[in-house]
This record gives sequence, C-alpha cells and structure tokens, in this order.
Amino acid sequence: MMGQKSGSFLRRMEMASIALHVNGEKHTLDIDPDVPLLWALRDLLGATGTKYSCGIGVCGSCTVLLDGRPIRSCITPVSAVQGQEVITIEGLSKNGDHPLQKAWIEEEVAQCGYCQPGQILTAVALLNMNPNPTDAEIDAWMSGNLCRCGTYQRIRQAIKRASAEGVRT
Amino acid sequence: MNTKHEINRRDFLEVSFITGMGLVIGICLGGCEEAPTKATVPTKTSAPTMSLSDTPEPTLSPALFEPNVFLMIDHRGFVTIKVPRSEMGQGVRTALPMIVAEELEADWSTIRVEQAHADRKYGDQQTGGSLSVMDTYMPLRRAGAVAREMLIAAAANVWGVDVAECYVRNGSVIHRQSERRLAYGELVEEAVNMPVPRSSEVSLKDPKDFSIIGTNIGRVDNPEIVSGSAVFGSDVRVPGMLYSVVARCPVFGGSITRFDAKNAEAIKGVRHVIEIDSGVAIVAETTWAAIQGREALEITWEEGRNADLSSAAIEQELADRASQQVTTGEAGTSQLIESIYAMAYMAHVPMEPMNCVADVRKDQCEIWVPTQNPQEVLSRVTRFTQLPSDSIKVNVTLIGGGFGRRLEILKGGRTPPVDYVIEAVQISSIINAPVQVFWTRDDDLRYDLFHPMSYHHLSASLDQPERVRVHAYEATAAIPTGYWRAVENVPEAFAYECFLDEMAWARGEDPYQFRRELLPDRSKAVLDVAAKEASWGTPLPEGWGRGIAFHSTWGVTHVAQVADLSVTSEGGLRVHRVVCAIDCGTVIHPDMVKAQMEGGVVFGLSAALKGEITVENGCVQQSNFHDYPILQMDEMPLIDVYIVPSDASPTGVGEMGVPPIAPAVANAIFAAIGKRVRRLPIRMEDLYND
Repeated sequence: MMGQKSGSFLRRMEMASIALHVNGEKHTLDIDPDVPLLWALRDLLGATGTKYSCGIGVCGSCTVLLDGRPIRSCITPVSAVQGQEVITIEGLSKNGDHPLQKAWIEEEVAQCGYCQPGQILTAVALLNMNPNPTDAEIDAWMSGNLCRCGTYQRIRQAIKRASAEGVRT
Repeated sequence: MNTKHEINRRDFLEVSFITGMGLVIGICLGGCEEAPTKATVPTKTSAPTMSLSDTPEPTLSPALFEPNVFLMIDHRGFVTIKVPRSEMGQGVRTALPMIVAEELEADWSTIRVEQAHADRKYGDQQTGGSLSVMDTYMPLRRAGAVAREMLIAAAANVWGVDVAECYVRNGSVIHRQSERRLAYGELVEEAVNMPVPRSSEVSLKDPKDFSIIGTNIGRVDNPEIVSGSAVFGSDVRVPGMLYSVVARCPVFGGSITRFDAKNAEAIKGVRHVIEIDSGVAIVAETTWAAIQGREALEITWEEGRNADLSSAAIEQELADRASQQVTTGEAGTSQLIESIYAMAYMAHVPMEPMNCVADVRKDQCEIWVPTQNPQEVLSRVTRFTQLPSDSIKVNVTLIGGGFGRRLEILKGGRTPPVDYVIEAVQISSIINAPVQVFWTRDDDLRYDLFHPMSYHHLSASLDQPERVRVHAYEATAAIPTGYWRAVENVPEAFAYECFLDEMAWARGEDPYQFRRELLPDRSKAVLDVAAKEASWGTPLPEGWGRGIAFHSTWGVTHVAQVADLSVTSEGGLRVHRVVCAIDCGTVIHPDMVKAQMEGGVVFGLSAALKGEITVENGCVQQSNFHDYPILQMDEMPLIDVYIVPSDASPTGVGEMGVPPIAPAVANAIFAAIGKRVRRLPIRMEDLYND
C-alpha cells in the first residue's frame, strides 16, 4: 500500500525567503520560517558538524553561536536568527586551531566525539564572557551539555588549559 | 554466559598475497575520487576515509605493496592500515594501527587509517565484548611483521646481501655494515615479488623494544572531531538522497490498522508516505519535513497481545521468584546471610541516535551505517534484498556512541526488534533513491534493545564467605533486550560486591581487608592499589562514606574502584571522588585506558543514580533526556585512574570500568548513613525509607 502524492492539497506552511549568515557566508533560503536552524544547517547547507541528539533543547549537542551567544539550534527557528551571525563548529577557526580546539586535542577529550562540537562552542561562549572561570563556574555553565561517553573531566581540563593560555577569538 | 567471547575469539589472519601491479590498478587511497555513489559531505574537505591531518595527500600510486588485507604501502612510503573494528570512542582506529606500525617499524607520520567495510576477509568484525585489542593483538603484530620481513628481503635482494645483515628502523631498511638505507616506499616494487613468510613463523619484537605500543599517540580522529568534519553515520550525504522517519506502533509487536497519508503529504518537502514492514515511512527532502510529516500522519494501530504489558508486573514476578528462593534457601544454618539485589531496565541512549543510509539499485546495494557489527548488517541486507552478498557494500562510519546498542543482536525478549538498516533498505528499494533513515530521540528510547531487568538472590554462611550461592533471574518478557555496556557484569558485580560488603560488616571486618583475603594475587594487587591511592581507612567528614568494589569483567580485566561520597537530606547524594585501578595486561595506549575507565565510571554512575526504563500498557514511558537523565558535568566526580603494570597479553577496557562503580557507591552509602540499597537505579527516597 502506498499513499499517492497529490498536488491538490494546500500546503500547510507558508514559505518565506530567509537570509542566514553562517560562518561569514550569506545564504538565502526559500523555507518554512519555523524550520529549526539545526536542520537548515545539516540538510540544506551541508554543515553537518552541528549534531542532533534530543531535539528538545536539553542536551546541547546542537549548540551554535548566535552573535557569540550559545543557542540550541534544534529549537531555534530560522526566522529568529535572520540577519545575525551564526557560527558553527566548521566556522570557529580556519584550520581547527582555535585555542579550545587545540586544548581539546591536547587533553584528548573526545571519545566518540559526537557531542564535542556543541561542547566546544558552549565553552567558547564561556571563555568569551569569563576568561578565567572557576571549576564551579565551568560546571554550572557546561552542565546543559550531555556526554554519554563521560568526557566531562577532560572537558573541564581543556577549558582550564585554554583559559590559562589565554583565549583570543 | 560467555558464548559471545567463544565465538569471537579466533586468530583470523590469513595472509593473501596480491602479486604484480596489474591487480592493484584501480585501488585508490584516501583523497581520490571514487565511484559515483561515494558518500560525500558538502563543504567538507575530508571524505569518510580519514587521514592523519598533517600528512600530504598521496597520489595514485603505480605500485602498492599489499602483503595482507590489513596494510598496504605505496611507492611514496605511505602505509595505509585497514581497521576492521568499529570506532565508537574507545580508540580502536588509533590502537589497532599502533599494533601494526610497531611490528612494521613504520614511521608513524606515514600511517593512514582506513575503515574496512564489511568483509569476511578481515575475520570477525564484531566490535563488542571489549575484544578488539584482545582479538587482534597477535594477528596485527604478525601482519606488520610479515611486511617487515618482506621489505628486509627486498632490500637484501637489491643490495645483494644476506637478510641477516639488514635491520629496520623508522620506515627504512638499513644495511648494517655499509649503512646503506632504503625507505619502505623505495622497496615497494621489489617487495611485491618476495615470497610471503608464514605469519605464524615471522619473528616478533621483544616487548621491551616497543616504541609505539605503550605510548600516548594522539587519537587519529581528533582533528576531524574538533573541527566538525568527522563523518558519523548521520552525517553521510549521498547525491539524490532523501530523508526518512518512520511512524511505528508504540506498543511492542503492534501493527497498523489503517493510515491516511493526506495530511502528511501536505507538508512541504514530503515526497512519499509509504507502508513498510515496521510502520509508515515519511520520506522528505529534509529530516525536519519528514518529522513534521510524521506528526501530521493519521494512523491507527492494532496494539496486539502486548497492550497490557507492564514493567511493574514483570518486576513483581521477578521479585516473587527471588524471594521464594529466600524462604526455601539455607534454612537451619545459623550463620546464614541472604539478600536480593535488583536492577531495572536500562537504555543505551548514545548521543547519536540510530540511523542508516541505503542506496538500493536493481543489481547492487550500498549501505552507510554506524554499526558495531558490519558483517551481521551485510547478512541481513543480503537476506532482505536477495542480492548476492558481493554486490552489497556495507560502509562503516564513525559511531556517535555504541555501548552495545549497535551490535544489533537481540539478547532476549519475545518481540522482534525494529531494524533501522532494513527500514532504510526497504524504503530505498520502494522509492528507487538513496535514503537516510533517521531515528529521533524518542524513537531511540522506545525501540532500544534494553538492558534486561534482573534480580539476584545471594546467600552464604558467614563462616564460609568464599562460598556464595547466587541465583539470577532475568526478565524474558516481550520487551526486546540486547547487549549493554558490560552486559551481565553490571548486575552481577552490584549484587556480589554489595553482598561481600554486607558479610564484612556482619563479621565486623573492614570491607577492604575482608575482600582482599578472598582474591587471588593478581586481583589483590589491583585492589591494593585502589585502596592505597584512595587513602582507605583515613577519616571522612560527617555524612560522608567510602565504598570499595572489585570486579573481573569476563574474568580477563581486573578493576577495583573506591568511591567517596556524601549524603545529606538537603544536598542529596554527591559522589566526590572515584579512584580506579586496572590490570588489563599489556597496555597499547595508556591514556585511552584511562579515558575508558573515566567513561565507564560515568556510564555506571548514570545507571546507579539516574534513569530507568519503565513500560506501561505495552509502551516505553520515557522519551528523552528529561525523563531518562544521564550524569551531567556538575555531578561529575574527580576520577583518578591507576594502571597496574603487567606483561600479560592485552585484554579489554571498553566495558570494564562500568561494573565496580555501582557497588562501590552503594557500599559508600552504607558507610555514610547505614542504609543498604539493593536496587539500581538508587533513588533518593530509597535512602531514607525502610
């Protein structure tokens, strides 16, 4: 049994022309303005470094930076980010050499690696705001980013390493 | 209980020699353009084949030296090592090449890592049971040694000298007397003509001469992971690919009564709404459109015979059976001690949910899937498509968390599991286009192969603590169950190690010293390291407790853990520090062993303190991290790992950090507040209720 596609039904969603600024590039998408930024990035712009894991904004895997602030792209409609600068993990640095990316490698943080783009971008926002966070401040800020592999101790270490070396973004 | 180990453990190296240059034409190293269906990720510089970040791209070589299926060397000296096991964070794509490179005496900067697709020529490719290093250590050493001996023979030929006058160092063969030197790349054309020594007869290095094994080489996937270019299964993009989610009956084993595709089809971007074996697939131009289509779909289900299924009823039945064991137990023994320990259903919840890309054509099929069991995927696809297996290619991607979920083996339960690989294959064959089937988080929780609920009854005479009788009861209801990190070791260690603690307190003995007397020497040494480093016996603040536990997972890797925690009515339970000691034989990569212990402790703490899976009316009650929580950063204890040195053969580490932590925590709770907890996960109300 196969449902036949019919052109006669009214489209439920209104389309709109949405201008996205991602990693320094401008994209204009004819798109339902309610589409979460996550899926626009992954399925329309090919920026698959931003990950889906919960879809309801509770795990942090989809974190991107919006004008420097961390947001959950899985629950942020594209219409809400128009005209603002979105930075994804692909755009954090040219050669993967942002101080936090380097610290992540030095501390061998990643295990499976799936949540780490979201972890790194959340940490970037922390150090931009607070270049010398205490352990408690790191814990409080990072606790919305889940990691099933259990790399939290090394995330803490990597943030402290980058902090000690002085992050310039 | 150990059948998986028995079937897995085989020495699989078959040296198959490919002679001449004609046979290698068309073999392409990473970075080259390949077949039209090759997966690509737009805006990425790296294809799914990964390379060490700072090695230059080799060009297509006119000659390759490929002495066996695990390695090949091109004329520029690049060594490509095929990794037959799956990477899910345990570091196998680094550790296995290290073993080959060690015996090959390769220059590590020339090593390129390539993921093997599903093929019996690599031997068993299941990544489970923490067996990857244990299984492949000797075969991969021999694979490297075979190549090394052939390269030496080739150099000796070129120079017209005896092989005994030559040795290898860092990617070159050197003639001892004349100090002449030929790099491996320069020897490729000569080496392909050398006879292949039998792998069982090649000489292996003395471990004291190891220069790669035992070092903390940077993980090969890290540069791609931190830059966002690492390709997990869900990141695979094939030209013309569509995206699909599937509506499935929420009740285990239910089926479709009827559905109306109209509203789903009205969603912009939805291209097909089709019935498949597992439910109704919504196929769309984006994942989001498919998700929206599923929400709009009108569908009614025939819930079937599991409509009344309840985990509470299952638990009651298990509890009754275990308690009957109590009453009929060791009656009349004055020193009898007995207890029942329980563990709830648990889910895997890897951060990357299940997904698969399938491109099914009339006479061929290609699959991209983050799987721990590629050959099992291949055989399922072969059965379903009826295509010859050599026209099916199964590509293994990076895995965003496995923990046994992606072994895809049904361990128990009377309902067939939902097979996301076959979903993708079936949809692709109906729509005649490549498709990615993607599970949302609630799909992932609802259709998991759960860690089964279990009860353990233990009894012993206090004067014979070395003789503990254990009766295990595991749920066999309709709920599908599978392999979950460390499998039965988790409830077994919880029950046994807490029971030992009960015996120690009942005898008025120190739990560490009491345990120590029961262990053989090698295990005792591990326990001693953990106790010493945790300052066992030193005082703790009021409301704090210290607990110890030990477990030899599958009898091969010995791990002891000591947990320090506090329990307060206002602050709740907080684990402050965990000391972990491990003996896993020869260590390939010490830092990865530590990372696996850290990860195992965190995984075990989530099981000890966080969510459980419950079923009511045949449906899983949990749907996401808000109701199936896992440990988060602000709950993370400090973890100190100590590796006990050993010359023994390497064993496994991926699962072995998990089993001791729940009993160490439960024993620490008893030490802190005198409350014995006997069910996982531990709930705060358990600590204050009788």
